[in-house]
Amino acid sequence: MEKSINAIMPGLCARVVVAEGDKISKSQEIAVINCMKTEISVPSEYNGVVKKIISKEWDELQVGDPMIIIETAE
Amino acid sequence: MLQIKNGGIETLVEDWPGRLGYLGKGMSASGAFDNVGLGLANILVGNSFGEAGLEITGGFFEAQFGIDTAIAVTGSDMKPVLNEKAIPMWETISVSKGDIIKFSHIGEFGFRSYLAVAGGINVPEYLGSKSTCIFGSYGGFKGRKLAAKDELVFGKPDDEPSDSTGRKLKKEAVPTYKREWILRAMPGANTSPDYASEKGMDHLFEHTFKIQHTSNRSAYRLEELPDNFFARSDGGVGGSHPSNIIDHAYAIRGALNICGNTPILLIADGPTLGGYMCALNVINADLWKIGQGTPGRDFIKFKLTNQEEATEARINQKKLLSEASLL
Repeated sequence: MEKSINAIMPGLCARVVVAEGDKISKSQEIAVINCMKTEISVPSEYNGVVKKIISKEWDELQVGDPMIIIETAE
Repeated sequence: MLQIKNGGIETLVEDWPGRLGYLGKGMSASGAFDNVGLGLANILVGNSFGEAGLEITGGFFEAQFGIDTAIAVTGSDMKPVLNEKAIPMWETISVSKGDIIKFSHIGEFGFRSYLAVAGGINVPEYLGSKSTCIFGSYGGFKGRKLAAKDELVFGKPDDEPSDSTGRKLKKEAVPTYKREWILRAMPGANTSPDYASEKGMDHLFEHTFKIQHTSNRSAYRLEELPDNFFARSDGGVGGSHPSNIIDHAYAIRGALNICGNTPILLIADGPTLGGYMCALNVINADLWKIGQGTPGRDFIKFKLTNQEEATEARINQKKLLSEASLL
């Protein structure tokens, strides 16, 4: 099943730290958002495999914007 | 006692009016960024309006209560739940030992939630305030934001916490949240004709400014001003840019600092002096709105006001932050 990992804060995408095809686990950091001059870690809510990276560096994000799509077994 | 399970993005102990009297030593007042949100939460649980509570910025805060008590949640609606069940905001609710409160991400409006507990948060006062200055690493809980496994102790309430359960606010006492925040302000100290052009000041009061994502408790950065904002071509002995002046004290909280072409609202933990011009000051009664402005999403518009209106607004806010606001 496809699930999206979304931005948890408004701000700029500092970086996505996983690549398509990576196996990731729940709570693992998948990206970092810059807001309030602080780097905010975005964790995965699921176990799965990264299917598609949507966000790239310097993208302006709002809460709920999809950052990556993963394929889960859940 | 409150055991923190997840500190969220940034959760701080803050009171109001913060740490006054130390601007000359370079120490800003800190204090609740939205003093109306904190004040109303305190009134609901039977505390004085300035008692220390939790300022939850950005959400994801989670904690477990160690005693039976009464709480109130105000501010941005981050969908708070108690033991996974939704709880109402802007009213007093009872909590029991073992209950877990949890906040989601920021709401559709606003950026900060406030959690007040009967008796307040019992952290040591530092220079007359329980507020955290996050950039100075002093005050509040160990001078920092809360993290998992921290334990906060509550103060002793004047009345039985159960006495305040079920308290609600009058409808008109609950602030209206928007994505465009109108801030009443007065020009000065560095304005037209010496520092800014007439056109520049008109722009300041006519334009709607987006809040930049780099905004935090020290400074709220707004989108850039055009070059014709300035009356001068350079800062003279103050420096090469027309925003430069000889170092002076900043009238914080609420001064609009012009740093290069970037207008910056200096607020809670902001700097107390520097070498940039300040074009206007937001009135005290409207400071709370800045704290609910969401970086990267919301907008700010300045509305010209005068000292009489500012004084009246402050008197009205004092009335609002009292038991007269309760149903």
